[in-house]
Order: sequence, then structure tokens, then C-alpha cells
Amino acid sequence: MTRSMRSLRLYLANKTYVVGVPVMTLGLVVLITVLIGLVMGIAMGLPLPPGAEQASRTNIGPLTALPGFLIGVGVLAMNRNFAMALAFGSARRDFWCGSALGFTATSLVTAVTAVALLAVEKATHGWFVGIHALDLVVLGSGDYVKTFAMILMLSLLSLFLGAMFGTVYRAFGAVSTVVTGIVLAVAIVGLVAVGVWQRAHLVALLADWDLWAIVAALAALVAAAAASSYSANRLATL
Amino acid sequence: MTTLATPDLATVTSGISIRHLDKSYGNLLVLDNLNLDLAPDRVYGLLGPNGAGKTTLMSVICNHTFRSAGTVLLDGDDPAENAPVLARTCFIREDQAYNDVFSVGAILGIMPGFYPSWDEDLCRRLVGRFRLPLRRSARKLSRGQKSALAIVISLASRAPYTFLDEPYLGLDPTAREIFYEELMADIAEHPRTIVMSTHLIDEAADLMEEVVVLHQGTVVLHADVDEARSSAFVARGRVDDVRAFAAGREIVAEHALGQILSVTIRGSVGPEEEDLAASRHVSLEPASLQDLIAALGIHDLTTALTQENR
Repeated sequence: MTRSMRSLRLYLANKTYVVGVPVMTLGLVVLITVLIGLVMGIAMGLPLPPGAEQASRTNIGPLTALPGFLIGVGVLAMNRNFAMALAFGSARRDFWCGSALGFTATSLVTAVTAVALLAVEKATHGWFVGIHALDLVVLGSGDYVKTFAMILMLSLLSLFLGAMFGTVYRAFGAVSTVVTGIVLAVAIVGLVAVGVWQRAHLVALLADWDLWAIVAALAALVAAAAASSYSANRLATL
Repeated sequence: MTTLATPDLATVTSGISIRHLDKSYGNLLVLDNLNLDLAPDRVYGLLGPNGAGKTTLMSVICNHTFRSAGTVLLDGDDPAENAPVLARTCFIREDQAYNDVFSVGAILGIMPGFYPSWDEDLCRRLVGRFRLPLRRSARKLSRGQKSALAIVISLASRAPYTFLDEPYLGLDPTAREIFYEELMADIAEHPRTIVMSTHLIDEAADLMEEVVVLHQGTVVLHADVDEARSSAFVARGRVDDVRAFAAGREIVAEHALGQILSVTIRGSVGPEEEDLAASRHVSLEPASLQDLIAALGIHDLTTALTQENR
């Protein structure tokens, strides 16, 4: 077992937490969506009429349900697992690489689960009630590859953002972590402002590249968060 | 105070060698030009009052924190981000953080991956003797159970360089006895370098082969326990008798309780001393490690340690 694999095993020590919960979260998104569909069906009848079914495709449930938990996983991994890995004789570089592999494993399982649920959703014509939890515009309107890529990038970004905050805290302390959060918030607002300002270009970009433009942007953010986390991890202490 | 020689770094090929080590936290100098050689396969007691730099020293050796200046070599190599060297260490801190969602069983389950010499049988025996609840999450462990978990990992890891940071905290006397017994048995069978910080000097004295005493971030004493113990003895009896016995001898510490006086005297006990003591009804005993520290001239430190132990 290579030294990075030791930290991967450390990350996976509680599989329910790092693999089971993201899968269950997606399951919960489906369950809640179906329950909402059933409630709507009381008034509209089941399956839901085409207008209501089409409207449910604008749902962004998975996008809001996953990040909070996954950011927490990233923070915890880089704080508590870091303390454990060093106690057990690991080098920082190996710990980071092992944890990054773990983040990738969590993200892959989550993305595959999303694709599997999408397949079931399509096969059952919207869970038998005509409502959509994963066949969504924001995930590529039922395209398996786009759904996989979006969920994968969203999961990776959440985990590495959490890792970035966790390592900044370890390396530079609480004040620096708050400052990092503020800088990140300002940067996001700035990016949104640029997007609004250059909305014509943005619309053209989306027209040309479709959802892949967003996937590419998320991938760039993942790379930035990973690089920040790696750099801070080299300076982290106990 | 024992003075340390400063050998050429190139000649050091095993054990731990530290030269001119400084560690500061802001303006606070915690380790100050510290020099120390620890030969391999021995058990060291790392002593000193709170704030002396014991945990910081172990953290720097294991690269948990970064040194400000100086050199640290472990088996001749710098441990800083040196994966093969660090893999030979195990250092569970007194306030060790564990992932909140990990159970004791999950933590112990991953240990063989970290330590190729992990002893599963020893692990199981220690878990049983300490009655560690395998299914309980690490954050729900009591102080004593956390210490027991640290002991299980430290001993079963068989790491060539094992650092124990006040390992007895929260353990009841029975559990402490189990720890001492298991540690002695295991290092007898599998010799390795153990560095143990402790305030319970006398209780843990039988485990130690050498003592390293830190005070204000520097080594004020590094001595072999057996040699050091034979360098002083304690005379106890009625005040007048003890004063008469000790006349002309070097007294390094004394404690009076009513009419009973105990004095720690530098030197060894010979037939002459035994005869004189018997004639004056004075009892002679080997100096304890606590007394020894006083005998070697660290009076202020001994006072501080004694107060902390109370």
C-alpha cells in the first residue's frame, strides 16, 4: 500500500459518512420531489399534466442539497483526519494526495448514483407521477453524460472548498479562515457582476457550449480550490 | 547539570540527534538552542514543568510543527516531510483530535495500513484489558478512554520511534498499572525508542532508562536513571540524629515533618555510612527519581514539579 493509500483508507474509515450520506442525500431529494408531486397531484391529478411536469424540470434540488454536507466532509477531513494522519507518521503531501483520492471517490459514487437515479426516473416517466428530480435543465435535461459531469464537478468543488477552508484554518488560524471566506464571497459577487455586465457574451457562450461551459467553469474552480488546499496543507501544523 | 557534547552530525547514523533547536510561537521562545542525543532502543522519560517545551519538542521531532532554527535528525535523516522517516514514528498527542464520526473500532481497523508491524493480538488484548468500547465514537470517549486508545495505538503500532504524551491522563491506578506492565513487557520483547513525557516521575520511574529534563525550553539534565539514582541517597530519622549523620556531607534537599527529618545526600552508601546510620537509628534509602533531580542541582525545577504533582 503506497503512503497516499493509507490516508485514502483513513478517509474511507467511515464509509457510511463519506459515501453513504451523499447517496442518501440524492435519494432524499428524489423522495421529497415525489412527495411534492403527490401533493400537487391532489389538485391536478396524477400523473401531473404536461405543464406541471415541464415546470418541475427547473427544479435545482440536487444543486442545493449536496454542497452543504460535502463542504463539511472536506473541512472535517482536512482538520481531524490531518491530525490523525500526522500522529500515525504520515507526511503532509501523502495525506493530501490520499484525501484528494477520497474526495474523487465520494464524487464519483455520487455522480454515478445521480445517473442511476436519472435512468430510473426516465424509465418510470417521472417516478410514476410525472415529476422530475434529476431530469433537470440545470443538469442537462436528461443527458446522462452531462448529469454525471455536473454532479461530479459540483461534488468535487464542494469537497475541495471545504478542504481549502479546513487547511487554511490549520495553517493560518481562525482569523485567516474568516478573511478567506470574505475574499471568496467578494470574488463570487465580482464574478456574478462580470457575468451580468457581459451577459450577451455569456448567453452566446452557453448557446455555443451548452452546459459544458458551466462544467468547464466548475472544473476551473475545483482546480483553484485544490491548489489552494494543497499549498495551505504544506504549511499546516498541529 | 549534565553537559552535552556536540558530535559531528555526519557521525550520527541512528537514534535522534538534535542540534541548536529553536522553536518560537510569535515572540514566545518555547525551545531555546536545544541539543539532545537519544540513542535508539531505549526508554526516555521526558520531564519538566508545564510550559517547559516537552510536547513542542516531540511535535518538532515528528514534524507536526515546524522548527524555527536548528537541526533534527532521525536515523540520520531530517524528518521534515520525509515520508520514509516519518513512517517510523507514532506520536499520539495528549489532546489528540480524532475524526468525530470514527468509532474506536474504525480507527483501530485502519492502523495496520499505517504500521506494517502492527500487532493485532496485542491490540485486542489491550482493548480488552482497558475495556475500550469499540463501537463508541471517538468524541464520546472519556478522558481515560482516550488515553487508553492512545496507549493501544502507540504500543500495538510497534513504531521504531514512539512518543507518549502524558499517556496516563484520566487513567485510574489499575489502568495505569496495566499500561506500565504492558509497556515493560512489550519493549522487553520488541525493543524500540520510547519517549514519554510525564509528571508522575516516581510512578513511571521503573520504565525509564534515561531521563531528559527540560526547563524553559532547554535540556537541563540528561542522565541514565540507574547511574543517576546511585549518585544520591536519602537519610531519614529524628532531626538530631539525621543532622549528626549528615554532618560534613553534601545535602541537596531536606524535608522535615515534626521531629522527623529526611535529607537527600549526594554520594553512595558504603559500609561506613551503614554502620553510622545504624548507630544513630537513621534509615537509609535509595533516592527516588524526584529526589535525584534535586540531587543533580535543579532545585527550582523540583519545586515546580512537586507542586504540579500535588
